[in-house]
Amino acid sequence: MGSAHMNDRERLTVAFFYCRNIPESGETERQALEKEYGPSIRLFPIPCSGRLDPVHLLSALEKFADAAYLIACPEGACRYFEGNRRAGKRVERTKEMIAMIGLEPERLGMVINTKKRPKGLGVITAEILERVKSLAPSPVLKNSRVEEEKPL
Amino acid sequence: MITAEQKPLDEIREMIAPYKRILVLGCGSCVAECAAGGEKETGMLASILRMAAKMEGREVLINEKTLERQCVKDFVILLDDIIQDYDALLSLGCGAGVQAVGDCFPEIPIIPALNTEFLGETKDQGLWLENCLGCGDCKLYHFGGICPLARCSKHLLNGPCGGSVGGKCEINPEIPCAWQLIIDRVEQQGGFERLEGIFPPKDWSKKQGLGPRRIIREDQQR
Repeated sequence: MGSAHMNDRERLTVAFFYCRNIPESGETERQALEKEYGPSIRLFPIPCSGRLDPVHLLSALEKFADAAYLIACPEGACRYFEGNRRAGKRVERTKEMIAMIGLEPERLGMVINTKKRPKGLGVITAEILERVKSLAPSPVLKNSRVEEEKPL
Repeated sequence: MITAEQKPLDEIREMIAPYKRILVLGCGSCVAECAAGGEKETGMLASILRMAAKMEGREVLINEKTLERQCVKDFVILLDDIIQDYDALLSLGCGAGVQAVGDCFPEIPIIPALNTEFLGETKDQGLWLENCLGCGDCKLYHFGGICPLARCSKHLLNGPCGGSVGGKCEINPEIPCAWQLIIDRVEQQGGFERLEGIFPPKDWSKKQGLGPRRIIREDQQR
């Protein structure tokens, strides 16, 4: 399964910040996803989506990610009451910031889990990868990629 | 607390354009409290500027550091060992901080990343209100602890003006009428007679009459 995914996405790296209360988001599942997708994904568990700060998203885009997404619990189901609502505002603000320098806002996003039958981390991750696959490689990383690809 | 807001990104980018080695300098005091220039905001601005430079293919060194306070020399001198690595400072301090840092390193251009706004109160998360003009002659006792100079749109010392509707200001219906607040507060405290006199025009000489103000406390000096 992993190699089939890879053909579509090998040029993109996506950072996922996710609330630990998402179903099937334990350490075992995280390791399995990293094995499945390889360097295409970087997974960052956080205690609540409200812990996310814009600097986390920006740092991911600056250093390695073509896109960065936050996965949060359904509205009204946040263990800390309003963490997901606050996170949503921060993601929107960060999108506005990257738009100001000409970076597509679609490189950032937030996915709120469904209330009825919440999806597991693996399912949401796959959905997001599908969503971002039409993005071009990030212009922020183009020079660093050239450096990496230079023969020794 | 001194409040501030970040300048438009385009304005900041235009000002830093001539420089190749820039230190983005945050301040951990007032501007951190109002989420404009603390460590987080400094990291965000530095990150977005680095990304913009990379997208343009420009080779620019942009580092970040946050001082406890930019307006106190004891903290500013912590830059002594690193300042020579940069050809410009982008300060997220208030106007006082920018100038204090600039005075310590006059050979390096210092660029303000914030617009300093007002002396304010953190009313709620994400909400800051102007409630002090720093006039140098506080009369809050007479007005139940609510300043009519800062909070009445007309700065009336002898209010209300007659334009207050439903406890809201006629100039800006989104803000409460300061004089409604004053009267309610003074009534609550049982000191209504304090408002019965006529207050003379404000003596502004204590704020601006002799140029920039200074406070000298010999007991605090070396």
